[in-house]
Amino acid sequence: MSKQVLSLLQERFGAKILAVDSFRGDDEAHVAPEAWHEVALFLRDDPACAMDHFIDLTAVDYPEREPEQPRFDVLVFLRSLRKKHRIRLKTRVRDGQQLDSLTSVWAGANWTEREAFDLFGVRFKSHPDLRRILMYDEFVGHPLRKDYPIQKTQPLVAYREVGATKLPPFGADEGTPFARIDWLARMQGRNQQVSPAIAVQQGQQPALSIRREDTGPDAPLGQPVRPDQPGQPDQLGSKA
Amino acid sequence: MPTFKLDGREVPIEPGDTIMRAAWRQGIEIPHYCFHPGLSVAANCRMCLVEIKTDRPMLMPTLKWDPEKQAYVPGGKPKLTPACQAPAVENQEVFSKSPEALNAQAHVQEFLLLNHPVDCPICDQAGECKLQDYWYTSQGKTKRKRTEPVHKPKAVRFGPTIVYDAERCIACTRCIRFCDEVAHDHVLDMRERGNKNEITVSPGRELNHKYTLMTEHVCPVGALTSRDFRFKARVWFLRTANGVCNGCATGCNSYVDFDPRHNKVYRLRPRDNANVNKFWMCDDGMLSYHAIHEGRVLQPRIQNGETRATSPTEALKLASAGLSKTNGAKIAIVLSAGFSSEDNLVLAQFGRTVLGAQKFYLGANGGWEGDNILRNSDNNPNRAGALAAVAGAPVGSLSDLLADAESGAIEGFIALGGGVAETAEQLAPLHKLQTSITLASNVGPLEQIAHLLIPVTSFAEMDGTFVNAKGIAQRFHRAIHPLPGVTPAWQTLIDLAKLMGKPLALRDLAEVRGALPSTAIGTGTGAGIGAQEASR
Amino acid sequence: MEPIYEHEEETALELPSEPMRLNMGPSHPAMHGTIKMQLELDGEVIRNIDIVPGYLHRGFEKSCERGTWTQCFPYVDRLNYVSPMLNNVGFALAVEKLIGIEVPERCKIYRVILGELARISDHLTCNAAGCMELGAFTPFLWFVKVRDWIYDILEQETGARITHSFGRIGGMAKPPTDKLKQAVRDIIPQVDKVLAEVSATLVRNRIFMDRCQGVGTLSQERALSLGVTGPMLRATGVDYDVRKAYPYSGYETYDFEIPIGHDGDTYDRFMVRMEEVRQSCRILEQAIERLPDEGPINVDDPRIILPEKDEVYTTIEATIAHFKIVMEGVKPPKGTVYSYTEGGNGELGFFIVSDGSGTPYRVRCRPPCFLNLKAAEDMIRGNMIADVVPIFGSVNMIGGECDR
Repeated sequence: MSKQVLSLLQERFGAKILAVDSFRGDDEAHVAPEAWHEVALFLRDDPACAMDHFIDLTAVDYPEREPEQPRFDVLVFLRSLRKKHRIRLKTRVRDGQQLDSLTSVWAGANWTEREAFDLFGVRFKSHPDLRRILMYDEFVGHPLRKDYPIQKTQPLVAYREVGATKLPPFGADEGTPFARIDWLARMQGRNQQVSPAIAVQQGQQPALSIRREDTGPDAPLGQPVRPDQPGQPDQLGSKA
Repeated sequence: MPTFKLDGREVPIEPGDTIMRAAWRQGIEIPHYCFHPGLSVAANCRMCLVEIKTDRPMLMPTLKWDPEKQAYVPGGKPKLTPACQAPAVENQEVFSKSPEALNAQAHVQEFLLLNHPVDCPICDQAGECKLQDYWYTSQGKTKRKRTEPVHKPKAVRFGPTIVYDAERCIACTRCIRFCDEVAHDHVLDMRERGNKNEITVSPGRELNHKYTLMTEHVCPVGALTSRDFRFKARVWFLRTANGVCNGCATGCNSYVDFDPRHNKVYRLRPRDNANVNKFWMCDDGMLSYHAIHEGRVLQPRIQNGETRATSPTEALKLASAGLSKTNGAKIAIVLSAGFSSEDNLVLAQFGRTVLGAQKFYLGANGGWEGDNILRNSDNNPNRAGALAAVAGAPVGSLSDLLADAESGAIEGFIALGGGVAETAEQLAPLHKLQTSITLASNVGPLEQIAHLLIPVTSFAEMDGTFVNAKGIAQRFHRAIHPLPGVTPAWQTLIDLAKLMGKPLALRDLAEVRGALPSTAIGTGTGAGIGAQEASR
Repeated sequence: MEPIYEHEEETALELPSEPMRLNMGPSHPAMHGTIKMQLELDGEVIRNIDIVPGYLHRGFEKSCERGTWTQCFPYVDRLNYVSPMLNNVGFALAVEKLIGIEVPERCKIYRVILGELARISDHLTCNAAGCMELGAFTPFLWFVKVRDWIYDILEQETGARITHSFGRIGGMAKPPTDKLKQAVRDIIPQVDKVLAEVSATLVRNRIFMDRCQGVGTLSQERALSLGVTGPMLRATGVDYDVRKAYPYSGYETYDFEIPIGHDGDTYDRFMVRMEEVRQSCRILEQAIERLPDEGPINVDDPRIILPEKDEVYTTIEATIAHFKIVMEGVKPPKGTVYSYTEGGNGELGFFIVSDGSGTPYRVRCRPPCFLNLKAAEDMIRGNMIADVVPIFGSVNMIGGECDR
């Protein structure tokens, strides 16, 4: 049902809707940042869309996309009470670029944008009260960015000198280091993995086997093509 | 360029290519065990079976379960071809992901795991084991067999470096082919037949040629393990950096595997380079990483009468004082064939511009037995680079230095590197010189006789360039962090020049590299064949 | 001595005044969890309020990026820690949606049972704390007594009273015990009994009604615009419940109703929660009848679910499966998905981004009470200090979920 919303958006805004997608039933529209506020107003006010229920607003950090693509994805999740359809709007902003605030469209954007600012550093133009919400005011940096090291602490009151027995049981790089991605090293190109499966996961070498995509409309030798999901075969969703 | 289609994608063919090799050049991997780009084709693992579309398919008559009719109906199963063996023919259509091919992969994988021991927790290959990876991608099912697996000898000592576990072996014969074709020493062969297959060493011999660690490298499972690396580290903790072996003038490309938590290098692995070392490294090269952690100079040391440690700042001050009070033209600049081109270049420039020195010498290892496989008889990685750093000026040997010291033409020296062919006794007269400074990473004769010893980073802790015997300049990258206060030799010299009041024109690595002569500039770390490196 | 101002008009005596800043600070007996509210007071009336959350921010979203998908379950548990099973199920459903698998029927029913038990304990806790703060201590103890019995059932099933970490991608950690059915059948009448007792004592109580009715009203439009969901939204008259609107885990097959209020005040929220407990009991009765005594609990894929231990020790495939899942993690395909369930406070959503590896790239929890809390600002403004307590109690702000 939300596909109608996506097609309405595309009709109305044309080139400003950069892409639409519907993965696993979630409808998503990728909007150009200039049209962010416009699209939001349209979705709320247009009677066919009627997205009056604000659900969430958040951001995702992809630092490796820079400089070709902006690093932050800002997403807004909306729902229509009467029509029951949902949609997800996505836009991309660079570090330092400002995005229109949606506080005037939905009041729920107020705190969620503050949180996106606090944790990612995405600034919103004409937000009535853009300040930190979850972190304390003296905090420096934006913690959910990938290059903010997770073990960094910024105590307002300095820690006491304690012996080694009282320190946390593991150091920065310990625990499950295979999965613990050192983003600073990765962004410098120094996180090359030895284990091939993990290297494949992190995109450092091509897949161990070729991706299981459909082999095309003509099935080889009369056999029906298995309708596998696109993706790496070492991921799930593609049945053996 | 003739092409064929692999899963709908056009793959160019070079003359003599098989399907697997043509795909490998493009970076496409068809699952395999026994294929190795550097070895002959065996086609015994049957993992790379692909479906080739022909208009006269060879169909094996089979029965297929029809769920609608709830009965078996006659069907046909196409005959699959091993991609590593089948020549790539122009305009052929090959499918490695068709349902039949995937089915074949799943079943081959199941067969390979039938008698495999439950060794993952103790096997060194865990984390880089093809059986594990292909189980996940191709099979994904639990065991159907309910009988006792076949038991075979475990932890068989093949030689001083290699241990063999027959239960884990999948009989791919990569090790046998390697010893035959690359090491030219037919010491391994297969024994027994069927599911009693195991690898055996030639009677009366042991696996002791100079490339034994490569058998461990080519083994796709944990059957062959190296004593040196056994049980030391788990590979998922290791990160890797691109390196160049510093064992001899071949300059084999390597991967330096280190653990960032402990800041320690655990092993080297060969890196593909068609022009230098193909896919291999010799044993001495593989074990050369021990020098990163053993026999290191840790702290600056004064050895002039008294022997005491000192701090880096004091050491530089002493060096500056010592060099200033000696006649610059009589200071010997001892380059090192074991240090990077950047280090040598900055030392040469330091000598010329800061000291006004005119006499250059080269400290190098004496040489070892080479062969025509990989080992070069010159066991210095960067002789060519060191000589290129002085751009044509005459460079003497250390015996020339001894002679000049005796004659009084030399009153002091500043040297790179501690390890040289001459012994400390032979170099003892140099201790009587007025000023002697060595910048060394490892202990050695030059380190023992110097008055002042300043530690510098080893090759694993810095970025640098080595020029090999064929004149190929190759870059290596930093793996681990240096000890606190220890910097690369070129950086130490730049700091020293600044301290002496005559700063060099070079300030950072980029500028140093810019000043290298064209013969000594590395542009990359060597090209791998195709886009894919280190096919295990 | 006569007061000097006796003959003057009262209005002529305007003393200069300014609003008083008062912190109902993070550590306060009536603040559930740690929340600071900065009030600007004019006498007793609150002119302005600024709610400052974040005192319990533990960096859960960042921590999830550090392990595998399964290692997120303990983090997710500690979101809404009074109904942890709902969080577990929500996250498991999100990853299963991304992978594209469905758990077996028995698992769905089991999840519903544990989830409804968690929901009952959540609502009972909220109402208990709410009425205790108004001075009614006894209903608090009645509610908590029953909640403790529910925790006993959960402990018997999962091994822990709260923060069970019991959900798994593709199923649950263990199958239901054989004592579950009888235990649930025994608890439902107890819950009904305590609801009846509290209804008798509290619901028509003059003081309770005066303190709660008309206090903290929220209009429907404002609630929708703010993103309010859950009992708070339903109290305003909007019949939005994720279980009915977008059913998951077999909820469409159960017979239950959604209670809605019509004023959106504190009283309505209290009553909505009470009635929801009753409806949850209805669901429990139906689910217990349906729960099969045997059958698979987990999806049958060794790439997702850890194999049985005896197989892990004896067969290589199970060892490899165990190795891959534990060391590298379950690997959902690359993509982003938003999956939502009805948590104790409203729509609990998980927005997960996977880069194809066993490590989550981003796990975003849509915290229902974070958005509900913003609504609390509107509701409190203009009321008196004493009203803060019932209003705030009825928001059911759980610090763990709000701040993550």
